Amino acid sequence: MSEHQPLLDPIDPQRRKVMGVIVGVINLGLIGAIVGPVVGFAASPMKSKMKETWVELMDEHLIAPGEIKEVNFSMRVVDGYHEVERKYTVFLRRSEEGVLCLDPACTHLGCRVEYQSDRRRFICPCHGGVFDEEGRVKSGPPPKPMDRHPVKIEGGKIWISREV
Amino acid sequence: MSKRPTYEPHESPSLTPEVRVDLPREASEQERLQLDRPAFRDWLELRVGWYGFVRKNLDEPMPPGVGWWQTLGNLLLTLLMFQFVTGIALAMFYSASPETAHASVKHITFNVTLGSFVRGLHVWGSTLIVVVMVMHTLRVFFWGSYKKPRELTWVVGVLIFQVILGFSFTGYLLPWDQKAYWATVVGTRIAATVPFVGDSLLLLVRGGPEVGALTLTRFYAAHVMLLPAALMGLVAIHLYLVRRHHIAGPVLPQRGRPVPFYPNQLFKDAVVLLVGVGMLIYMAIGFPPALEGIADPTGTDFSPRPEWYFLGLYELLKIMPAGYEMLATVVIPGLISIGMLFLPWLDRSDSRHPARRQWIITSGMAVILLIGLMTLKGILETPPPHEVPGETPEVVAAK
Repeated sequence: MSEHQPLLDPIDPQRRKVMGVIVGVINLGLIGAIVGPVVGFAASPMKSKMKETWVELMDEHLIAPGEIKEVNFSMRVVDGYHEVERKYTVFLRRSEEGVLCLDPACTHLGCRVEYQSDRRRFICPCHGGVFDEEGRVKSGPPPKPMDRHPVKIEGGKIWISREV
Repeated sequence: MSKRPTYEPHESPSLTPEVRVDLPREASEQERLQLDRPAFRDWLELRVGWYGFVRKNLDEPMPPGVGWWQTLGNLLLTLLMFQFVTGIALAMFYSASPETAHASVKHITFNVTLGSFVRGLHVWGSTLIVVVMVMHTLRVFFWGSYKKPRELTWVVGVLIFQVILGFSFTGYLLPWDQKAYWATVVGTRIAATVPFVGDSLLLLVRGGPEVGALTLTRFYAAHVMLLPAALMGLVAIHLYLVRRHHIAGPVLPQRGRPVPFYPNQLFKDAVVLLVGVGMLIYMAIGFPPALEGIADPTGTDFSPRPEWYFLGLYELLKIMPAGYEMLATVVIPGLISIGMLFLPWLDRSDSRHPARRQWIITSGMAVILLIGLMTLKGILETPPPHEVPGETPEVVAAK
């Protein structure tokens, strides 16, 4: 091979360009073929919706006026690939207006609040949120009052509706 | 028969990417191509180039003044390999479902031969990696080693930093105990504070509205597939760039010529690896990994606290007034991340000397002080014990 002869056969620049574009398009197609379905598949839970379900909690007479009761219960929920019995907690408070049902998840970042009867306050152990007995923010970082669940009383039983 | 080629280290290696040390060898390879029965070493060298590669790395030029501080990267790499190997072993016994995850980790910890030790290596390894990674990053920061032409080495390093924090966050859930569950409830809720897309992001991260079976499989997939793949790619690029540009050396160039990596620096590396890995083994044996009671959404027998290196963020969330939590969840961590990523372009000074980079050093120190103080506050402020009658933590003690 002489020194001046190029190492590779020259290819028509136009042909090079056209084929380069075709290779680029094919590559884009390949990327789309893998990324599209995988993203659609992995992100599918973003479409999941919760639905309201009524659940019976306890006898109405078991909670006295002014009292706050922590009630544990379980509901059958669909958890991904299977149906499970999932445990939940709510706080019930009886007042003159009726029965109030408060969700124990702190509205700040979702830790479970505890009721301290001596202070008559709900306290979040994570970032120090404090709520009063009606679930209103008294201090700390929570941006809004505690969530309430709809309550109905039927046949002497307290029912609440929860999104699951 | 030609004379066996030898490398002469006194022929000082150049600091350009085209290291000249292989020159005498290339010629002799042509000669050895003609041999009918080459030595196995030569046979392999011709086909794989392995010996050339090893020798090139052992002869990597070290500028004068390079020493103990430059051993941290190697320690980090070794610790990551330990995580990789112990992780594969743990995956052989682990089962990622809410029904079985806790039981399988309990089985690993208390029944499987060497289970507590292997899990201990993995748990303590994650802590040690964060410590060494922070030291490595601080060294590069204060030495100004991220300056031209090493900007992208730094950027890739910052990405590795974030991937490692991702490992910690996803790995924390896997034992499916109280601590794991509640840290993830809170940690994923952070996604919901992102403006506009927060609610969708929360569903994407959790795999549904609540932390459950799909959160666990999602985190497991990320922890053992997605993040390791990302980490391997990034580490490969990082190492390639480190080798391409060589080690930056001290802030002020010192007298003398570069010396090869082997034996002086490799010896220092080996000593540091011995100490680092020794410490890891000591912790894995001396402080066996704990396992709390199984995740219980109704339970109050827990202290919902993240891993110690996220305590800074946790404390920051505490002091944010109502309605401003986004500052602590998105804005401040986001600004720190962006600041770290773009550091080589924020710091415009020509000099690597800390005294000539005052504003960048001051800002860096402020951020380090903020994170340090917040973390310290979090460590000191252990929450009050839960005194609910009849409810005691089912902390499984190592027997």
